[in-house]
Amino acid sequence: MKQKLISSVQIILLHAVTVMGLTGQSYPGKPRIIRCRSLEKETFSCWWKPGSDGGLPTNYTLFYSKDSEEKIYQCPDYQTSGPNSCYFDKNHTNLWTTYNITVMASNEIGNNSSDPQYVEVTYIVQPDAPVNLSLETKPSAGIMYIWAKWSPPPLVDVSSNLHVYYYELRLKTEEKEEWETIPVGVHTQYKVISLQAGAKYVVQVRCKLDVGEWSEWSSERFIQILNGQSPPDKPTIIKCRSPEKETFTCWWKPSSDGGHPTNYTLLYSKEGEEHVYECPDYRTAGPNSCYFDKKHTSFWTIYNITVKATNEMGTNISDPHYVDVTYIVQPDPPVNVTLELKKPTNRKPYLVLTWSPPPLADVRSGWLTLEYELRLKPEEGEEWETIFVGQQTQYKMFSLNPGKKYIVQIHCKPDHHGSWSEWSSENYIQIPTDFRVKDMIVWIIVGVLSSLICLIMSWTMVLKGYRMIAFILPPVPGPKIKGIDTHLLETGKSEELLSALGCHGFPPTSDCEELLIEYLEVEDSEDQQLMPSHHNGHPSKNAKLTPKETDNDSGRGSCDSPSLLSEKCRESCTVPSTLQTQDVRKPQENKEGKRSWETQCIVLERKTLPFNNESTKSSTWPAAQLLNNQAPIFAYHSTVDAHKLTLNNTNANVAPFLVGNEEKQQSQNSITETVHDDMEKQREMENLPSKAGQTTMQVKQNRPNDKPPFLNPKLMDYVEVHKVRQDEQPAVLLKHKENSGKNGQYTVPGTSKEYTKVSTVVDHNILVLMPDSRIQHTSVSQEPAKETSQDLQQGQAEKNVSYCLTAPSECKRETSGSDYMDPSSFMPSFK
Amino acid sequence: CHTSGMLTPNGKEYAQKIPREELTQLILKLLQAWKEPLSHFNQHIEHHQELPDDSLSKAKQISNMVHELKTGVEKSMGIISNSLNGMESSEAAGLSNSNEANMMSDSDFIHCFRRDSNKVQSYLKILKCRIMPENSC
Repeated sequence: MKQKLISSVQIILLHAVTVMGLTGQSYPGKPRIIRCRSLEKETFSCWWKPGSDGGLPTNYTLFYSKDSEEKIYQCPDYQTSGPNSCYFDKNHTNLWTTYNITVMASNEIGNNSSDPQYVEVTYIVQPDAPVNLSLETKPSAGIMYIWAKWSPPPLVDVSSNLHVYYYELRLKTEEKEEWETIPVGVHTQYKVISLQAGAKYVVQVRCKLDVGEWSEWSSERFIQILNGQSPPDKPTIIKCRSPEKETFTCWWKPSSDGGHPTNYTLLYSKEGEEHVYECPDYRTAGPNSCYFDKKHTSFWTIYNITVKATNEMGTNISDPHYVDVTYIVQPDPPVNVTLELKKPTNRKPYLVLTWSPPPLADVRSGWLTLEYELRLKPEEGEEWETIFVGQQTQYKMFSLNPGKKYIVQIHCKPDHHGSWSEWSSENYIQIPTDFRVKDMIVWIIVGVLSSLICLIMSWTMVLKGYRMIAFILPPVPGPKIKGIDTHLLETGKSEELLSALGCHGFPPTSDCEELLIEYLEVEDSEDQQLMPSHHNGHPSKNAKLTPKETDNDSGRGSCDSPSLLSEKCRESCTVPSTLQTQDVRKPQENKEGKRSWETQCIVLERKTLPFNNESTKSSTWPAAQLLNNQAPIFAYHSTVDAHKLTLNNTNANVAPFLVGNEEKQQSQNSITETVHDDMEKQREMENLPSKAGQTTMQVKQNRPNDKPPFLNPKLMDYVEVHKVRQDEQPAVLLKHKENSGKNGQYTVPGTSKEYTKVSTVVDHNILVLMPDSRIQHTSVSQEPAKETSQDLQQGQAEKNVSYCLTAPSECKRETSGSDYMDPSSFMPSFK
Repeated sequence: CHTSGMLTPNGKEYAQKIPREELTQLILKLLQAWKEPLSHFNQHIEHHQELPDDSLSKAKQISNMVHELKTGVEKSMGIISNSLNGMESSEAAGLSNSNEANMMSDSDFIHCFRRDSNKVQSYLKILKCRIMPENSC
């Protein structure tokens, strides 16, 4: 009993120890066979993976059996294939048997077996990858390829190198993802074509035996295809040209040559022929060109031209170019461009541009006909002016600006089918500045006259400016307040004030004619001017009335204030003086043609006297422009002429007015001839009134050197209106001063002349008064003058001293009395 | 082109070597050879709807011009001898009546006509400068 107990206790203790030993040590884990592989069908190896080793050194044993045999063998060789492997050498390897392989792991505690593995050698054949893969690039027949070489996998047993391996190669460029796999066969080398120039390729090979699987891919090999290693690109033909329609040349553009020197050849064939020729001349026309000389040029046939580029890598042919020489003619530019200035008489000079056709073009035989075109541009200009000239080789230019420099160029083209040549080299034309004296004189005269006009205009503006302004910008009418206008009171113009008060008629100042009567302006000398103003019942002012700037609209109507009137008179009388001085300075050459006429009273209204028209004969008559606004101005050499002229002027003024029926021709004729014909004039003048039969005035010239004509500026004098007599014989009495002018013949000082007649009305605001000789010697009465313009009478007068009367033109004149010449009848004729 | 069979000088030297009469004959032959084809062409394109009207009138104009040119050359060169003329014109008439002209496409027709008219123009110019060298030659 006790022994049983002791043995069970031992067993228990033993178990316990065993259990204790299991925590650190136990029987090994189960191994696992990873793979079995045969490299060459003659041997094979198996590898296993051990399981956990249980903490104790483990032994592995491989047991195998063949097919269904019972016998179990052990692994013959644990070393050759490495740890945990078993190598079956040739003797132990049968191809057509199935091996049942197990691996047992054993240690001190126990052992463990793997699962059995059935292995058939034929199915586990997998060779190693090929080795020694080498790559080369080689050009062959113009194409680059890679030459890949390798060796079969090495074998332990050299003798078994009789195996036949099948190889496979794959390559790709670096950028690509996909491999290109190429079956190679049994050879250990291969040429790869269809490569990209400049790409880097990666190549691998693998092999396989007749049974089994493919080996692994060999390690990668890289190769770079050099950039320049390629055939040339396609050349292109640029153009073909014939300069003279007898030969032609073709040029091509070379292509990139692929790294090697490239040869170009040009081949052509003609229309209708099969034969292909090569370019006859590569040199004459320069590099990359082909020159066809006369022998090789045919017209009206189409050439088919191609260019071939060749280098070591290969060749490339351009696209064909079809050309018919007739249509590709482009001549050289014209030559010998010359200029000639031609100066024909009586005409403006002009330029003739001549040139010659280009030297090669055969224009003389008519084979080639050229048309020309030229272009012009001033040197600083931007735009060219193109002129088509046609087939002539010269061109006349008329319209160029003198003094400027021009650039001119010519080019030509065949008259049919062809292109324009290049422009000839620039030719410069310098137009001479043809400065003719005659032109200059014209310009000087024009300049002087325009400055005169400007002066006159400015004077007019200054003196009558306010009136113009009033015309343009009529004054804003103030309120019509009945009552006393303090402003008027201040200025002291009583008549206006009273008229503002609405009293019409009390001061007869609102009567225009009375105004006319009042203001007699007798113009005589430049500096003296008397402006008598008589106001009925008002304090007279001998001083010049200051012009009023404003004009109150107080219902006075069109009659302006006396100030305006006086101002106007002043203006008119001062202007001639300035004109006179200027004109005298002007050189007078031609008596007949160029006389400038000057009147004392310059009328500001427009009026074209027939005289004026007549006098504007020559084209350089500068006075013509002035005369529109003024009565004829004249300066004169001698007083004799002056008399005549003034007389003529008078006549001219007179004739149309007085003698209404008089033909204008006659008066004009009389004017034109007057200069030299004194006596005739007189006769004529005397005749004129008789013809008319109504005039009462005479403009007589007793002696050439007699009384100064009324329009003589030097002899006219400003005189004081002594009085205006208003009686049965109304007259205007004037005081004369002694005139120390040229013609000393003047009235006795102190004597006053009575002017009773209106000889004429000049320019509808100048009354020309004439004295009545009969009453001339009557004494001057000292009565205060009264104003009545209506009292002026006309009568026969021997002497033709007359004075101007200026009057406001707007005012109408009343007709009164049969003796009167009704000035209003003249008024319309002026307008 | 239906006139390709004609032997015509292909360059300046050849054209200048030919005697005057022969050159004139050549010109006339060429002009004659185009008489029929042109009228045929005019008839042909009259039915084309898509051509603008002025093309049709231009084509007629050109036919007339060719005819007038031929008459003018004859007159100016004083071609009187009918025998010579007859032989040439029969050959040319033969050419012009051939079907070849009618079978050409329109563009070919125009191309051939352009070329031949250029030929005629060049020959006439050479003739002109030979006969009257002073007038812009």
